[in-house]
Amino acid sequence: MLTREHAISEYKDGRIFPDRLTRQNHAHYVGYAEQMLEIYREGKGEMRKELHHRVHAIFKDEPGCPPRRIDSFCKLLDDVSTYDRDKGKKSAALRIHVFRLAAPFHPLVRSVDRLFDHSEDTVKAKIAAELKKDWPQIEEGMFADVKECHRLKEFKGYAGGEELLSRYNVAQAQATLFRAVKMVVWVGSDFKTILRYAKLARLIHTIQPLEPGRYRFIFEGPASILRNTRRYGIYMAKFLPALLACSDWKMEARIQTRRKGFTAAFQLSTTDKLKSHLPGPEEFDSSFEEAFAGKWGDETREGWRLVREGGILQKGQKVFIPDFVLEHEDGRRVYLEIVGFWTPEYLQAKFENLQVFKEHHILVAAAEAVADKIPGLPDNAILFKSSLNIKDVLSRLN
Amino acid sequence: MNLYTDTIFKLSFVRGTLEAAIVRGKTGIFMEIMQDIPFTYDSRVEPGVWRCDALHYATICQRVREAGYHFEDNVPRWRQVRWENPKIPPLRPEQKEAVNAWMPGKRGVIVMPTGAGKTEVALYIMRELVAATLIVSPVRDLMYQWHRRILNGLGYDAGIIGDNIYKDYPVSVTTYDSAFIHMDKLGANFQLIIFDECHHLPGESRREAALMSAAPMRLGLTATPERADERHIDLDRLIGPLVYHLPIASVRGTTLADYDIVRIPVHLSQEEQERYNTASRRVREYIILKKKDDPSFDWLDLMAETANDPEARAAQTAFYLKQSIQDRAEEKFRVLEDIFRIHIGEPLMIFTGSNAMARDISCRFLVPCLLNHCGKRERMEVLDGFKNNVYPALVANQVLDEGVDIPGAKVAVVVGGGTSSRQAKQRLGRILRKKGNKRGILYEVVCEETGEVQRSRQRRRSDAYQGTRHQRI
Repeated sequence: MLTREHAISEYKDGRIFPDRLTRQNHAHYVGYAEQMLEIYREGKGEMRKELHHRVHAIFKDEPGCPPRRIDSFCKLLDDVSTYDRDKGKKSAALRIHVFRLAAPFHPLVRSVDRLFDHSEDTVKAKIAAELKKDWPQIEEGMFADVKECHRLKEFKGYAGGEELLSRYNVAQAQATLFRAVKMVVWVGSDFKTILRYAKLARLIHTIQPLEPGRYRFIFEGPASILRNTRRYGIYMAKFLPALLACSDWKMEARIQTRRKGFTAAFQLSTTDKLKSHLPGPEEFDSSFEEAFAGKWGDETREGWRLVREGGILQKGQKVFIPDFVLEHEDGRRVYLEIVGFWTPEYLQAKFENLQVFKEHHILVAAAEAVADKIPGLPDNAILFKSSLNIKDVLSRLN
Repeated sequence: MNLYTDTIFKLSFVRGTLEAAIVRGKTGIFMEIMQDIPFTYDSRVEPGVWRCDALHYATICQRVREAGYHFEDNVPRWRQVRWENPKIPPLRPEQKEAVNAWMPGKRGVIVMPTGAGKTEVALYIMRELVAATLIVSPVRDLMYQWHRRILNGLGYDAGIIGDNIYKDYPVSVTTYDSAFIHMDKLGANFQLIIFDECHHLPGESRREAALMSAAPMRLGLTATPERADERHIDLDRLIGPLVYHLPIASVRGTTLADYDIVRIPVHLSQEEQERYNTASRRVREYIILKKKDDPSFDWLDLMAETANDPEARAAQTAFYLKQSIQDRAEEKFRVLEDIFRIHIGEPLMIFTGSNAMARDISCRFLVPCLLNHCGKRERMEVLDGFKNNVYPALVANQVLDEGVDIPGAKVAVVVGGGTSSRQAKQRLGRILRKKGNKRGILYEVVCEETGEVQRSRQRRRSDAYQGTRHQRI
């Protein structure tokens, strides 16, 4: 990830636009990106400052390229690199050793006189002889632990130039979010994944239902209602790749500007086509659900219709998103949750959560193999061996 | 009074804020007691709560007490502290005055010049209070210095939060940057919070370290409370009132050493001057060219243009080259050699304008330099070695700018550096520690005919420099 010092953005009509390289305007950057990757691939044993210098050189004659953009590329390349960082503190030990050896000869002078007769050259030669090394070698070793002098050990790299550029675009969007005070996301089908990742990113949510199957989520932190604070911006930035991996959403974040009290809008949606490096959410969370949905089909059975992920039950920061909703023609709604093979910790958390929503009609179906590991499994739970039968569900519904 | 019926709310610390859950039917009383505390109703959580910054914890406690009610207090997570073997030297009269001024309210800012012993004042207060304490300082080096001073003074091995370490002990040290990140977890762990060099606190993000802490007892320490952006008035709210102010003039020559300032102009070598001129020309030509189109074009515009114009980027590079030529001018090394000769046998501090120059000097004279990549052990070894005269001199960039104490250093050399008045004062503070009757000397090695002369003039305008002798050698 980039830092705030790398962020490049433009303001226009109250909106903020993070720097973005597009196929239309920056097609030739793919070539630059390939060159950068080549520098790092070939750069084993080189110093960090040397690699950065070479990357900067690529853009020497490129008009319209802010230095921060080049610094950002260096950062993204460094992020997938391993440098020799002198973990054993060899440099520090060498420095101390040299300084201690030199101390009695202070000051090391260039023009020797009767009072001060320790010349720089003779003292350095003496120390070099004592350490059994050349002086230039010693001098290089003394500061090998300075960050810009670290040497490249390994470069994991990116799949190709295009990948580096799309990572850059996402990284700039994240850098803009560092200054975000609030994020609003309008979601459709992937609401479950989006909510889950926002929770993982420690954001506090407010859920507002829109038309059926669509929601407006507001993400912020505890102190956000007290004042505009950008302390949760980092969480929003971390959450962004997960959002980008989902489909059917749009987002607007309020970004603090340099002018005190003013914010700009950062808007993003699936149509912007920013590419996440994370895999997309699976269509079905477990094979049990998939099998059951397949068996039921689109039919109405004894007045009941099966709807996938028909809603969010919420109480403050606790949410429960049942696998299915069964809707009867007479208006009855029963939630169905199918529990497959999960870890005991997961199941425990799941059922504690279920307790919070006990005033709803929630029907639980659990695999027999895990049923005894579930504390507080409701008495009316349906147990199944290898797959859940429609017949069992219908009999319990009626 | 019936304890049960008089409990009006439950207070908890949640991620840097306080949540008040009001007992049914007590909302009216709550609102009445808390009217000047900025509570906001938060319906995002279920059931809803009243939320405010953790900063207000002490005031809330006081309000409830005064009104004769009770609340269920789940906030404090203060842990027990015990000093093994405290060894704090007796305080000087002005230090005692500072302690006495702070003690009654246990909130407030103490302003004392660098070298007047702010750390001792804080350690004395810590020894008296025996409370879970967090010390927030501007940079890593100062954080480690606090760690060492607490170990030596109170016999306590304090926790460290920062520099990739997370050791949350009942007494811990941290930096402003780490405090911003971690205070939402730490805020209820400490009863006393000390902000060192507290003029840093009012920054937009850094202030969160004070807002998200529930510590009822707060101490701010600084030599220079003023901020250019006038935000220092917020210290009153974030820490407490100014309780003690010792001006620099009142201690000069008594507690602190008297000092002279000696300015030494150096010239660029012919080769350097040529490179400097070429670079200058490049910058000038670019600006002149631009001024033809836009008469108000200036340096800031040039920086903005670097995004679009390779020429602007070249001009910017030329500007940095100019700075670097000045900063690392060859003659500065010759002058340093002379200063070393004059002050042979005296501990000498050298401040540079860049890390590269600090390393250059270190390599040329083989004297240790303290840079921000130096680890804790090396730093201690170097500082102790300097104190015990193992090392004749010490080179540093901004790392040592504030408050790092180097007992015994009487001679300092500034070769390059910024212009702000605060930096000048802090740097002076380094050589001001009194030892016998010896006056301190601050050398300024400045490139003639370049921007550095200008900066030196600005530096001398700072009030720390007022009334000092200026001589040329």
